Amino acid sequence: MGQRSGHQERSKKLEMTQSETMKTKAVVQNNEEASEELNSKKQRLTSVFGVADLKNGAIGLYNVGLSCCLNSVLQVFLMNIYFTRILRRITVPPCAARKRNVLYQMLLLLEKMQCGKQKAVSPVDLAACLSAYRVKLFVTHDAAQLFLTLWNLMKMQMEKPELEHLACQKCSLETKRNSSMLILPLPILYSKSHMLKTLEDCLQHFFHPEELADHNMCFCEQCGKRTPFLQSMKLVHLPHTLTIHLKRFCFETSAYIHKLNNNLPFPQDLDFNVILTENQCQADNNEKADWQYELFAVVAHSGSTSFGHYCAYIRSLTEFKWYCFNDSHVCQVSWDDVKTTYGHSSLHLGETAYLLIYMKKHLE
Amino acid sequence: MAQWQEVQALPNARLEEIHQLYSMAALPMAVRQCLAAWIENQNWRQAAEPCSSRALMLFHSLLALLGEHLGSPGLGDEDFMLKHNLRKARRDLQEKFQKCPENFANLVANLLQEEQRILRLEQARGQGEAAPAPSTPRQSDRQQQIQRRLAEFNTALQEAERAFRHLEDLQDSFDFCYKVYYQPGQARTSDPQYAQQIQSLQAKLQILDRQRQEVLAQMQQLLGRSETLLGFLQQELEAWRQRQQRSCLGAPTDTCLRPLETWFTELGQGLFQLLQLLRALGDLCQKVTYERDPLKEKTPHLEQRLRELLTYLLQSAFVVEEQPCMPNPCKRPLVLRTTSKFSARARLLVHLHDRNHHMEVKIHIDRDPPKIKGFRRFNILTSSSKTLLAGDNPRDGLVCDFQYLTLKEQKDSRSGKGSKGASEGPLVVTEELHLITFTLAYAYCGLELELETSTLPFIIISNNNQLSSAWASILWFNMFSCDPKQEQSFFSAPPPAPWPQLAEVLSWQFESVAERGLSQNHLLMLAKKLFGSKPSPKSTVSWHKFSKDSASGFSFWAWLDGILGLLQEHLKQLWKDGLILGFVSRKQTEKLLKGKRTGTFLLRFSETVMGGITCSWVEHSESGPPAFPAVAPYTAAELAPLALPDIIRDYHVLVEENIPENPLQFLYPDTPRDEAFGPYYSQRQDGNLTEQKYLKQRLIRVSSRQPNESWQTEEELEAATENLETLQLQPGELGTQQPGGLGMVQVTSGNEGMPQVVATSSGMLQPGGLGMLQAGDLRTLQPGSQDLEPPQPPQVGLGVSKVLQPGTGEQPVLRVVPNTQEMMQVGPGGLGTPEVLTSGLGMLQLGDSGMLQPALVTMEPLAVPQEQGTLQLESLPQGQEVLPSLEPHLGILETLEAVELMPNMDREQEGLCPSLASSDAFLDAQDPFLPQPEDVALSPVSSLFTTDFPPLHIDASDFH
Repeated sequence: MGQRSGHQERSKKLEMTQSETMKTKAVVQNNEEASEELNSKKQRLTSVFGVADLKNGAIGLYNVGLSCCLNSVLQVFLMNIYFTRILRRITVPPCAARKRNVLYQMLLLLEKMQCGKQKAVSPVDLAACLSAYRVKLFVTHDAAQLFLTLWNLMKMQMEKPELEHLACQKCSLETKRNSSMLILPLPILYSKSHMLKTLEDCLQHFFHPEELADHNMCFCEQCGKRTPFLQSMKLVHLPHTLTIHLKRFCFETSAYIHKLNNNLPFPQDLDFNVILTENQCQADNNEKADWQYELFAVVAHSGSTSFGHYCAYIRSLTEFKWYCFNDSHVCQVSWDDVKTTYGHSSLHLGETAYLLIYMKKHLE
Repeated sequence: MAQWQEVQALPNARLEEIHQLYSMAALPMAVRQCLAAWIENQNWRQAAEPCSSRALMLFHSLLALLGEHLGSPGLGDEDFMLKHNLRKARRDLQEKFQKCPENFANLVANLLQEEQRILRLEQARGQGEAAPAPSTPRQSDRQQQIQRRLAEFNTALQEAERAFRHLEDLQDSFDFCYKVYYQPGQARTSDPQYAQQIQSLQAKLQILDRQRQEVLAQMQQLLGRSETLLGFLQQELEAWRQRQQRSCLGAPTDTCLRPLETWFTELGQGLFQLLQLLRALGDLCQKVTYERDPLKEKTPHLEQRLRELLTYLLQSAFVVEEQPCMPNPCKRPLVLRTTSKFSARARLLVHLHDRNHHMEVKIHIDRDPPKIKGFRRFNILTSSSKTLLAGDNPRDGLVCDFQYLTLKEQKDSRSGKGSKGASEGPLVVTEELHLITFTLAYAYCGLELELETSTLPFIIISNNNQLSSAWASILWFNMFSCDPKQEQSFFSAPPPAPWPQLAEVLSWQFESVAERGLSQNHLLMLAKKLFGSKPSPKSTVSWHKFSKDSASGFSFWAWLDGILGLLQEHLKQLWKDGLILGFVSRKQTEKLLKGKRTGTFLLRFSETVMGGITCSWVEHSESGPPAFPAVAPYTAAELAPLALPDIIRDYHVLVEENIPENPLQFLYPDTPRDEAFGPYYSQRQDGNLTEQKYLKQRLIRVSSRQPNESWQTEEELEAATENLETLQLQPGELGTQQPGGLGMVQVTSGNEGMPQVVATSSGMLQPGGLGMLQAGDLRTLQPGSQDLEPPQPPQVGLGVSKVLQPGTGEQPVLRVVPNTQEMMQVGPGGLGTPEVLTSGLGMLQLGDSGMLQPALVTMEPLAVPQEQGTLQLESLPQGQEVLPSLEPHLGILETLEAVELMPNMDREQEGLCPSLASSDAFLDAQDPFLPQPEDVALSPVSSLFTTDFPPLHIDASDFH
């Protein structure tokens, strides 16, 4: 889980975004293509595949060796009709490469789920394919990390650049850098111990300027020395599907990580225009107009840092109903069940939301 | 209802979907219809598992059943086609699925699932349509949710148990094969048969593994759902807690725990069952395990999570059902007095217990006392532990009832404690909050817990007179419904209360005392009293202002509580029935009454006298502004001997020369008095009315005093009595007397040997009522006795009226204040009694039977200070019959120790105003009825109803 995942390194935003940029630069183009496809060819898609095939019914995935994390993340992808529409359009790779092509394997799995009329299918082929990319079975993963890995493997990522805004406080030289993030990693702690009350608070806190002083001082070219900086982030663009990672882990001492179970409500509808102030974003009104999001899925974790279980709550985009995916067991639930993943201070092992996947409201 | 029946009941649009579903399915609808019940009862999903022998079995059973059906004679000729179709279907099925019965099982399972989906859709639509129409309260929604979820939970649990049994079967079968076929050490590759066996063994293991994963997934799902359900139960329990808190404050709420108990028990039962299941899974894992066994990995974690859930459930299920309460009439719990007994009861809502385990509940008071200087410590004198009992009746639940608890203060508790306490000094006793904690050692199904719950904070007093302010603290604390554990020092800095909340709580006080809360108008008046203006929703009242600020002699709460006490003791019914307008300011009273008829009155609580109620009425004069007289407030002391309705009925204002009249004619807005208060009048004894023939006159003896004298002592009064002469007055010109006209009362002496007094009075009768006496209205009394001083003009003035009406100085209600001490016989109208306001003549009514209805004399507590003489009214026969009729009355007087009025009316006298009696009266002063000088000295507002003074009694014996 958290321990072995790379995400504790990301607790410092600066480092993270840098590394992220490195990784993701290559795929930006691909991504633009993808979103274009999505917008322009949606109608054709429907005509090609028919409604029935695009139904994306809720089908379980068998656990193939501690794969609850993989299963949950996969469900988030496969229940997303906008994703599966693109997935169905991939060119079938040559036979030799099929086994190692993640997208193709995902497509196969999707077909198996949708056409097999089974209660659940086994994602064993995809798992085998992934293990070739060092995503091992029989290892408990961190959902956030797995999600990123999957994205990168698929080379299909949605654009989420942020303009990192570094302002030297001494000589007022400003450095700007474009960076993009796949996931918004939201700390739910405020200055080590103070808990943030709601998701909105977390977002506000995330975009709050941070002062880099003392040993965090940066080198200023103009001054020629390390000076205190004010680091702030400005939002430029938001993707169709926005993934928020709630950092429910607390590193009290270096050796011991514990999970934070406190209550953190998140809304079904999220409007970034309400949450962020004018100077926290750098986008035109057109872009801002569709910063209206609706909750699509929640990947929830139960248990502690040393063990646990993942399940996914996903709102079907065709039926507009919530489903809970516990590996092979799928059942229809209600918003009240999703709300249970807000967290509860007296239940340390209960289900808590870990990844929140929001989707733009006006996609059509 | 069976699924197929439900499907058939679907509306056409949905039925179309069903038809579509079956048009493509290999299972003809005819078969589905024919074997509906059987099909629904089989577990097709499980049979669809690969390599399951069950699929084949089910398939053959289906064919056999179809065959049976075809052969049965029940099918008539009209079903020939159906029979044919079934035969065909049977053949087709046999052909198609003979080789792969698993596919058939899967097909049926999917069909059933699809049917369910369509049914659900329809249900959701129906709910969506039904929901907006009736605005069902949210709470009942939640209760429905809970019930629905509990049912779902139980179904899922049964499913999990079925899956578990299936897993057991699979494991047994694998175990057997494994033991039989797996022989390590042999040359494996050489024997192809052995290799095949190993392969099938491997496949079996795969299936076993999958089933294990499946069961675990189901468990995870169950735990997830029960978490939500528990969340709902928590909300419901929280709602109950708030209801309980509010009901402690007197709110009319339902604090029944029965539904919660049922739900908690049901969920608890389910979770314990799940715990057993998990343990059984652990056992399975003990028997057969393999590399990467999911059971081994996940079962302990699941159990850990489940235990946590159970702990949480049980912890919250332990509640204080009845907050500590000592028996008191006002239904005010949470105020305890040292040395007096109180009770409290705890209940465990999860009604599951091990009969062999002895569950003991212990109570502690102030286990973690707050660090407040001088915080008193107490001991519970009685036994502090008790066994949690399951009553013989399972409906009783697990209850621990502590009764007859008593508290005793620790001797040294005031000193030495809390040296590091707050600097603001000790809290007063009525602001010191204490807690009792219940602890229970619970054990069930291997789960051992120590459960704990606390009462709401309560206040310990040592004297009953602290009750009122203690209750104010309880109100204040519970209004904020904060966490009792952390708030024992609540009153170190009590927050101000938002007015809307406070208003609600105050209303409950009235509701609990007299079953009627405060109306918007009442609350508006109270708010104006507190804020000086109209309240905004954000107005707040500070604790100090509410309970301590006593600029006007008493705090707001003390005033209100005084009224509550008055209601509780005397006015419950009137308040309940809305006859008391109550909280109306004097200004508002005038506004209300201004446009009403003369004689319209209302009842309002005094703002200057604690626990006082008064009547205000309106009198319109022909010239000048209307007057709004009010009687000095009655308090509990006055109401104890004579109930308010009776006072109202017989209330009379006596002004000189005027016929005494009841000014209270219409209850605001315009209900005739007797209509409004009739049902509350006390029954009177008018038994031997007919035998009485002394109707002409009535004698009233009056004792008064010199104006400039202070109170005479008893002896002096007696002496005075001796000197007093009885006057007989004869009514004159009665026929002309009309309300609103001039009344001439001629007083003549009717008795020989008695000083004769002819009092000619010209009373101004105000239209519609009595009340305003012009200063110029003289009442002239001719003293008949030399001992008596000549009568003086009545003293009329503003000063008097101010005393009369403590609230309104502006109302120039004039009262006649005679300064004479005299004894007179007066005519029926303007009783020439020296005491004017404080006495009223009974209203005399002509009964239907032609008899006179006697009416009570109301003695008003509005005595004029100069006029401390008390009136004793006695109705006596006229003329020569005085003596014989007096005697029996004297007897009565002696026994009753009461002032009596015997109104006497000659009903034959024509032209008499029906409410006025043409009788004479004797005013008689008799020692026992004289007010004690001390009484008068105590209060300027003297009254006949001070505690030492008996009430008036009517003796109707002088009536026809």
